[in-house]
Parts: sequence; C-alpha cells; structure tokens
Amino acid sequence: MTTATTPVIETGGLGKRYGRTTALADCTLRVPAGRIVGLVGPNGAGKSTLLGLTCGIVAPTAGSIEVLGNRPGAGAAQLARVGFVAQDAPVYGGLSVADHLRLGARLNPRWDRPLAERRVKRLGLDPAQKAGRLSGGQRAQLALTIAAAKRAELLILDEPVASLDPLARRAFLHDLLDFVAELGVSVVLSSHLLGDLEKVCDHLIVLASARVQLAGDVADLLAVHHRVTGALPPSAERIHEDVVRSDAAVPGAQPVDLEDLGMAYMTRAAVASIGGAA
Amino acid sequence: MIWLTWRQFRTQALVATAALAAVAIYLVYLGSRIRDDYTGVLGCQPSVCVTARHAFDDAYTGQLSAVGVLLIAAPVLIGIFWGAPLITRELEERTDRLVWNQSVTRTRWLATKLVFLTLASVAVTGLFSLLLTWSASRYDQFIGNRFGALNFASRNVVPLGYAAFAFVLGVVIGLIVRRTLLAMALTLAAFAVVQLIVPNVVREHLMTPVTSIVAFDEDAMSRSDAFGMNDRGATIVGYTMAGAWSLTDEAKVLNADGTPYTSRQAVACQKGVPAENMACVAGLNLHFIYTYQPAGRYWPFQWIELSAYLAATLLLAAFGFWWIRYRSS
Repeated sequence: MTTATTPVIETGGLGKRYGRTTALADCTLRVPAGRIVGLVGPNGAGKSTLLGLTCGIVAPTAGSIEVLGNRPGAGAAQLARVGFVAQDAPVYGGLSVADHLRLGARLNPRWDRPLAERRVKRLGLDPAQKAGRLSGGQRAQLALTIAAAKRAELLILDEPVASLDPLARRAFLHDLLDFVAELGVSVVLSSHLLGDLEKVCDHLIVLASARVQLAGDVADLLAVHHRVTGALPPSAERIHEDVVRSDAAVPGAQPVDLEDLGMAYMTRAAVASIGGAA
Repeated sequence: MIWLTWRQFRTQALVATAALAAVAIYLVYLGSRIRDDYTGVLGCQPSVCVTARHAFDDAYTGQLSAVGVLLIAAPVLIGIFWGAPLITRELEERTDRLVWNQSVTRTRWLATKLVFLTLASVAVTGLFSLLLTWSASRYDQFIGNRFGALNFASRNVVPLGYAAFAFVLGVVIGLIVRRTLLAMALTLAAFAVVQLIVPNVVREHLMTPVTSIVAFDEDAMSRSDAFGMNDRGATIVGYTMAGAWSLTDEAKVLNADGTPYTSRQAVACQKGVPAENMACVAGLNLHFIYTYQPAGRYWPFQWIELSAYLAATLLLAAFGFWWIRYRSS
C-alpha cells in the first residue's frame, strides 16, 4: 500500500549492465513524495537508464528498485500509476492528435478526458493534424498531455526540453509547473543542463559516470554547500575549486547557486574518471 | 487495445481487401470458364476426346499453377509485411516507449495484436484458398494430382495454417532481432526453409505409407510413364495408383517367386500372335512392390498438416510472450 510517506522512488545498490558496459552502478536513492525532481548529468551518465528502470521498461541487473512501493512495470495497475515521456517525445507519426487522445482514453482506466481536451485546446493543437507534422515543441506537449491525462501519481520526463528552442523551453516548463500544482503529482525530469531545471525542481539528483554523485532536497543541499576561497575547517570537504561541503558554518563563505553546485560535482566526477583512466 | 490494433492495421487491411477482391474476380471468372469447358470434355465425341482432354489440361494448368503459387506466397507476404514490422516499427520509431507505458501490460498488448492480426491473416488466406479450391475443383477432379506439392499446399485448409504460422513467425523474429529489414529477410528465409522441408521431407511420413504388391498388367502399364527391360531385369517407372501419392518412383518387375523378370523370359513368350503373347505373360503372375499414401488419406493429411502448423504457431507465440516479458527490457 502507498501512504503519504511511501517514497516515490527507493533504490538499493541498483545497477544495470549492457554486456560489458555499465550504464548504472550502485545507485541508492530515496525520493520522497510530492517533489519535482531534477535528474542532471552529462550525456551518457545513465539518466535514461535510471528513468527506464523507474518506469519498468529497463530491467535491473543488480540491486533493487521500488516505485510508489511496488516493482516498476509490475502490472497494469502499476503502469497506470506512472506516466512516462521518453526522450524526443515519441508519438505515432501517422496518427492524428485526436487519435492520440483516443489512444490514451482506450488504454488508461483513469483517463482524464476534460484535462486532455483542455490542454490540447489551450496549446492550440489541431486535433485533425497528423502527429508526424507537429513541431518538436508541439510533439513534446502532446506526449506530456497523454502522460498527464493518464492521472498518474508519478510523471517521468526524459529530457523533455532537449529538442526545444529556448522560448519553447520556458513555456514548456512554466506550463509543467502549472499543472503539477493542479494535479498534485510527483515529477522526475532529466536534463544534461542544470540551468533548464534549477527554476522548477525542489529535489536534485546529480548523475555522472554511471553513479549518483549527489542527491537531496534542494534547500538542504544549498544549506550545506558554500563558496569558500580561503582555508577550510577540517570537517569541510572541497568538491571542486571553491565549492565546499560543510555542515558547519564556514567563516567568509558565500552562498552557492544550484547550477554551480551541480557543475562542481559533475566536474569532480569527470576529473576522477580521467584520472582513473590515466 | 482492439481500437488501437485496428487503427494501426487499417491501411494494411484495406490493401489486403483490395488485393483479395481482384483475385476473387479473376478466380470466379476462371472457375466458370473451367466449368463450361469441363462439360465440353465430358460430352466429347470418342474420336476427339484425347485432343479435348489435352486442350483442357493445357488451357488451365498454367493459370491454376500461377494462382496456386500466389496463394502459397500470400502467407510469406503476410509474415514479411504484417508480422515482421509489427514490433520492429514500434522499436525503430521508439513508440514502444509510448504505448508500453500506458496502463496496458506488454503481454496484453501482444496478445491483442496476435489474436486480432492472426485471425485477419487466416481470414484473408482462407478466403483465397476457398476461392481457388472452388475455381479449380473440376480441374482437380480431372487431373487428379491432389497430393502434388503445389496442389496440396494451395487447396482447402492447409493454407490457413501457413498464414497463422508465417504471421507469428514474422512477429517473433522481429521481437528478437529488433530491426525491420533484417526481420523481413529472416522471416522470408525461415518460412521458405520450412516450406521446402515440409513437403519434400516431412509430409510423406505424417502417416505410415502403405506397401502393396501390384499385378504387372495392362492397367498397371497404362498408369505408368515408362517400362524398361534388359537381360538382368525389368523396371516400371512412374506408376501411380488412382488418386494416391506414389512414394515409389521406379520398381523392379518380379516373377511369382520373387526373381527378376528378364528379357529372356519375354523372348520366350513371343508366340507371334499378340493375344497369345499376352496370355503367356499373364501366366507368369508378374508383379512389383509399390509404396504409396492412399487417395483416401488426402483429408487426414490436410488436417494433420494444418494442426501441426497451428501447434507450431502456438509454440512460437508462447515463446514470444516469454521473450516480451523477460527479455525485451
């Protein structure tokens, strides 16, 4: 059973290998309900693998994962609770916008038809238009509409804004925030650019070199990270250059913003992997 | 799910219906012409009967063989164009990520697609077979080669089994290799291999053949292609019992005691008067050993082969369900 305290995602030592390639290793996470989670990492860091594991289209090769208290993709009931929009928002090119809404209605018991129709109308999509003729932004919106009207408890969006121009990005994220508030769902969205997500997410996971580098609520993370140029107290840890992690206050420390924080962890992982290879 | 299956299948269904309609028009026309001509052959004057029969055979053998080949090709086309891309197209356009994340399990998705589209494949091929069987029925009665490889595979119920098998074969190959063109090529190759092995190697063993001793007489000679003799023995080539499937191509002609019948014996029977010659040969009680599948086994063979293909289809489908559940993630 799911209660308000059941974590949305809980993993323990989760890993996925494709032959000899490790896509994700030793991933232990606990994401509380009601968050908008930003999953950030460079290309090839394992973001899509982690999201695939979360919705059940990828099977783990190590460790455990529970989503809303159940095994991902375990059955129709679990599928109904998780909405997923894959990278590049795939839709059926030969089917019209209306056909896609019909598909959603036929395949989802909790389909919210008024929501779907309202969104299509507001986005200005022509129901008779073939989905193959839509622009990248319109396609992303259509895919998001299907996932949203499914009335899932968790929405997973893989690189939802990667193919959009900056203006469409802002519109998409703004719109996302609106209906997340309206529907009360938890959301996980990934990007290789933290700048896309920092304004919307309240929980951050940094993934690099197939491993989790940093995870936590944004407010907590910002509280324990600082910019320090001078000497450090012994309990503090220097992440990269002037970004420092310290639970205790550091004299002369400046606050750090989320983008720099994520970048510091990603850079440290990149440097370590180059060092490891040398 | 049925709605989506139909929506994605609509265009293909339309193409198949159009093709089937064209074939139907042609076969109804051909069938009625064959019926008219057949009446003519039956009512022929004795003097021209041989010519009339030859003309009838010549007129329709080519056309019916061509349509027969088309009917055998129909399951192949279904496997290649309906079966193989069913899953690969979703994978290549990444729409599997869309459709397999709705509130429908992959197992149910596959089950609906397989049931609905296998029925469509069987219906199209079944109608085609029904039309061809009707159209060619007089010809088949007349030529009587119902066990011939092309004839057997393009009449009555076996084409239904081929259609179901080819479709599911295409789907399962696509599920495993995940690429449309490769899946199409492999489906073609695999189905062709099966369709070569079954008639040439497997079919004759479906029921234990009958071996019997056939008297070597005028009737036997008239049902064979050739007869050869030297001083070591005699051979009858291409004997076929009426409506049966011969498994003996050539047989040694034997005396009553089982020794070979030789040209020396034949010379000994040359009495000069034809009637006496024949009486002399008849007195030797010549015979040969002949192995065959009797004419009455035609329908058992049709049903056995249909059942075998349907069983193979079910096995393939079960494998497909296992794969989509445990191996495709």
